[in-house]
Amino acid sequence: MNATHFPWLTVIILFPLLAGLLLPIIPDKDGKTVRWYSLIVGLIDFVFIVYAFYTGYDLSEPGLQLVESYTWIPDIDLKWSVGVDGLSMPLVILTGFITTLAMMAAWPVTLKPKLFYFLMLAMYGGQIAVFAVQDLLLFFLVWELELVPVYLILSIWGGKKRLYAATKFILYTAGGSLFILAAALTMAFYGDTVTFDMSAIAAKDYGLGLQLILYAGFLIAYGVKLPIFPLHTWLPDAHGEATAPAHMLLAGILLKMGGYALIRMNVGMLPDAHARFAPVLVILGVVNIVYAAFTSFAQRNLKRKIAYSSISHMGFVLIGIASFTELGMSGAMLQMISHGLIGASLFFMVGATYDRTHTLMLDEMGGVGKTMKKAFAMWTACSLASLALPGMSGFVAELMVFVGFATSDAYSTTFRVIVVILAAVGVILTPIYLLSMLREIFYGEENKELVSHEKLVDVEPREVFIIGALLVPIIGIGLYPKIATQIYDSTLTQLTAMVRGHVPTLVETAKTPPPAIAGVSMAPTIGPD
Amino acid sequence: MESFLYDYAWLIPVLPLLGAALVGIGLISVNNVTNKLRQLNAVVILVLIGVAMTMSFALLWSQLQGHAPYTQSFEWAAAGSFRLTMGYIIDPLTSVMLAIVTSVALLVMIYTDGYMAHDPGYVRFYAYLSIFSASMLGLVISPNLVQVYIFWELVGMCSYLLIGFWYDRKAAADACQKAFVTNRVGDFGLLLGMLGLYWATGSFEFAVIGERLEELVSSGALAGGLAAFFGILVFLGPVAKSAQFPLHVWLPDAMEGPTPISALIHAATMVAAGVFLIARMYPVFEPFPLVMNVIAWTGALTAFLGASIAITQNDIKKGLAYSTISQLGYMVMAMGCGAYSAGLFHLMTHAYFKAMLFLCSGSVIHGMEAVVGHNPVLAQDMRLMGGLRKYMPITATTFLIGNLAICGIPPFAGFWSKDEILGSAFGANPALWLVGWLTAGITAFYMFRMYFLTFEGPFRGTDTTIQGELMAAAGAIAGGGSDDHGDHHDAKPHESPWTMTLPLAILAIPSALIGLAGVPWHNRFEHLVHAPGEAIAALAEFDQTEFLIMAGSSVGIGLIGIALAGLMYSQKAIDPKAIAQKIQPLYNFSLNKWYFDELYDRVFVVGTRRIARQMLEIDYRVVDGAVNFTGLVTVVTGQGLKYFENGRVQFYALIIFAAVLGFVVVSSL
Repeated sequence: MNATHFPWLTVIILFPLLAGLLLPIIPDKDGKTVRWYSLIVGLIDFVFIVYAFYTGYDLSEPGLQLVESYTWIPDIDLKWSVGVDGLSMPLVILTGFITTLAMMAAWPVTLKPKLFYFLMLAMYGGQIAVFAVQDLLLFFLVWELELVPVYLILSIWGGKKRLYAATKFILYTAGGSLFILAAALTMAFYGDTVTFDMSAIAAKDYGLGLQLILYAGFLIAYGVKLPIFPLHTWLPDAHGEATAPAHMLLAGILLKMGGYALIRMNVGMLPDAHARFAPVLVILGVVNIVYAAFTSFAQRNLKRKIAYSSISHMGFVLIGIASFTELGMSGAMLQMISHGLIGASLFFMVGATYDRTHTLMLDEMGGVGKTMKKAFAMWTACSLASLALPGMSGFVAELMVFVGFATSDAYSTTFRVIVVILAAVGVILTPIYLLSMLREIFYGEENKELVSHEKLVDVEPREVFIIGALLVPIIGIGLYPKIATQIYDSTLTQLTAMVRGHVPTLVETAKTPPPAIAGVSMAPTIGPD
Repeated sequence: MESFLYDYAWLIPVLPLLGAALVGIGLISVNNVTNKLRQLNAVVILVLIGVAMTMSFALLWSQLQGHAPYTQSFEWAAAGSFRLTMGYIIDPLTSVMLAIVTSVALLVMIYTDGYMAHDPGYVRFYAYLSIFSASMLGLVISPNLVQVYIFWELVGMCSYLLIGFWYDRKAAADACQKAFVTNRVGDFGLLLGMLGLYWATGSFEFAVIGERLEELVSSGALAGGLAAFFGILVFLGPVAKSAQFPLHVWLPDAMEGPTPISALIHAATMVAAGVFLIARMYPVFEPFPLVMNVIAWTGALTAFLGASIAITQNDIKKGLAYSTISQLGYMVMAMGCGAYSAGLFHLMTHAYFKAMLFLCSGSVIHGMEAVVGHNPVLAQDMRLMGGLRKYMPITATTFLIGNLAICGIPPFAGFWSKDEILGSAFGANPALWLVGWLTAGITAFYMFRMYFLTFEGPFRGTDTTIQGELMAAAGAIAGGGSDDHGDHHDAKPHESPWTMTLPLAILAIPSALIGLAGVPWHNRFEHLVHAPGEAIAALAEFDQTEFLIMAGSSVGIGLIGIALAGLMYSQKAIDPKAIAQKIQPLYNFSLNKWYFDELYDRVFVVGTRRIARQMLEIDYRVVDGAVNFTGLVTVVTGQGLKYFENGRVQFYALIIFAAVLGFVVVSSL
């Protein structure tokens, strides 16, 4: 079953990998050729992505598109099969965008540049593959494959405790992956046919008990990645030690793999279990939001602070996924995209600041705003985006999750009230830790000790460009969210409708006529003109 | 022509936004060039806001002629069957607000040129001012609650940026964060209320929410208490933004920002946004007496609280800030009493006279800085002023006009609006009237105390002993953050340049006269702006005896207050220090702002910090500890310790990976 069109996705995945293989033979005396080469490869691939989706993707079509499928090992029905729908397509674009920018952010890396850029390019392809493959075994393979470069980047280019952090990262995620493997094998061999094809697996009818076990397995694996409390402790360590480009990829893309896989597999393949597990997700989401916000506030290390803020923001994804409303689901998706952009920009700024202050401890900074005016402005913009200031993407995403969950008919009113109130506490806590952070870095009088031994210079045009490039979509989505939501709306609408069909209470109420209030809230159209 | 005007009304907020974007991009990309162009930036921004103002007044004129309200919207966000629209509405309320905001903004921007002339952040300040104007204008044209919330937060952000404008001052750094976080507490309520109302009614449109909510409650589908609860949650937003008790604490600290923004944001426009939102949400609040009572009493309490603290303040801007809190309390109380147009009328008169008073204080500070140097501790303290009328006649005269307006002396603007509020309060609940009436007396007292201390008597600015005392007192608190350059010390203060006095003179006109738009026997303002659904005919009756009694009593207490202030601070017939001695506890209570800051600091700030630290401790010791422990046990028992020590744990990953590959290969054989 070969694709009839040009195999865009395969090209997009393989191009950076193959181009990376050429790196060792590129003559590179001044260390500049390699980075330009990699950046251009990244850019070309990004152009491929945009072009392929622009010409070959139909937004109104909810199903898989640009599908390619080549048989690899017929005995176990392993296929190289890739395709994108509304769920994966925006994340593929995000990956191309962030990874290209991360390549540009990697300018200051001088240690073993060839290896570094090779790993970056390998990650480029690997990450896209995670979002694009439609075969469960292949998914597992690329999921694992993509860990190796991250591990190496952490352990070679990290900070002082890099080995501890890298080890923790690999143990956590590899440990989690075992659950994926086990669940995937179970699902593949379940029933009459052996298949790894995702849609075929999704179509199988598992018993509820098995679904719950599989769901739990996936939840642990993806919970590590997202991360979900209490499986999150690898993240502050990994972030605490990583370099700026690695940060951007970790926060910008790797965390999104967890969310993506949760929606794709837990929700899409095991809807009955999802209906049972959803309240757990909601509670975990709230814990993520509040708990991580508090820990972030107490952190004195800048990188760890932002790392905890990432955890806090991911809580909204969980609540959105478990809301059983189109709006909540859409909000979860948007929160992933939005945090990908905002998290990457914040971590990039952390790296840029560290390059100048050579410290990450807030106590050793202070009053830096006087000399680093542009950095101050950019930090402020990114922090405001992160605290969900309206006009930026984070606000829209959180608002959608809030409204979606508040109007969800799958939960009791009391439960919703408590969850919404607790999640809204995050709205107060986020500015507390982000603004105190800004205050401690930039405001007040200059820290004499810091100024005495560090020459602080303002950000250079390259850095302004990177933040600018990230702010454009952040503000663009914030001003007009439809540019992002319409990309995946049809897919998520279909998915939500499917899941709702598996929630017992919803199926029952659908049979009986809805009560008065529900009748009103079922027609949430506003603005008749 | 008219339809053209309405079709393009969206330009009003967009124009200043464009200006801000232009200058902002210039600052980020070609900083030196943009900063060198200096006044050119200001001119661009001024022209844009000028155009916006012209359009606003044209719209106001058109609304005065009875043009029907106009709405325009587009689909903003969509998910499945959910649709959310944004757009703009031009109705009498909006058009009045547009006129107020654009006119005050324009004058403040002109004033800024003089006030910030020597500041290195001159251009940045204009960019901020412009983006604030855009957000504020966007707020007042919002047709639904979500859009209000969006701009509500944006004006909060501008306020944050502007309070922290002098970011190297520690006090400013603390103040801007306090302002933002306190406002977020209010927004928390607003967000929850908004979600609750949407859950109940399925709409974010003001009128639709009100209508459906009433239907739901009367049909019994929704408990009245719950609906009222949602209303109170929404009201939390205005409580924070309009600095009402108990979330008023941020506003006095916000005076750390440059004075032009104290006038524009923290007196005339943004803080009034809360009152505006109550007006917009009026159809939702009005059917619930509980909500209305909460609003009215919050307002009354705040009015009294602000006034009682303002009496003892020595910093001229802090004094005005508490006076603003008090006046906002009046407006909120009016809304709670059902005096819809009276509250908004006071919003309008207050916007003009308070903006002017703040700009006057800026002019005074500007003059004082020539004598005592650029140190807020000295330049803003009234104990060092006195006799400034001689040196700054225009400032003194306009300040006096503003004073008469705020004290409610006819025919100045404040008299008409305050009198209308007190009249309505009396009708709603005499106790509310009593609080308002007493507060009016206190207001007159502290405002004239301020006037006498600043403009009358001998000039004390060169008195080094007072200076020393002030510095010592501040040193204990602020660590002596003085940025003296040693190049100051004229012996006499001077009148400010024309760019500063001209806006004062212009603002004096509405401060004196705009009240005449709402004289009770021919209330044009009420005719234009009245509560939705209220018939105009019902408002038109005018009871002369009642008017005379009410007006007489409020003017009476105002005059008593002025007389008392005169005796104490001008004639020195009564020694204020002796009185303070006699009622020491009360005096300290007022001087220390009812100890709110200390209380909040101890309960919330310290509390949050402690919880956060404990959480982190748990994260580190318990959650992560468990993980590390398991990891260690496995490694030790698996004799893999050497890998751990050699740091070659990547083997684990490779082994897993190889195993999978092996699996694939084996099964393909």
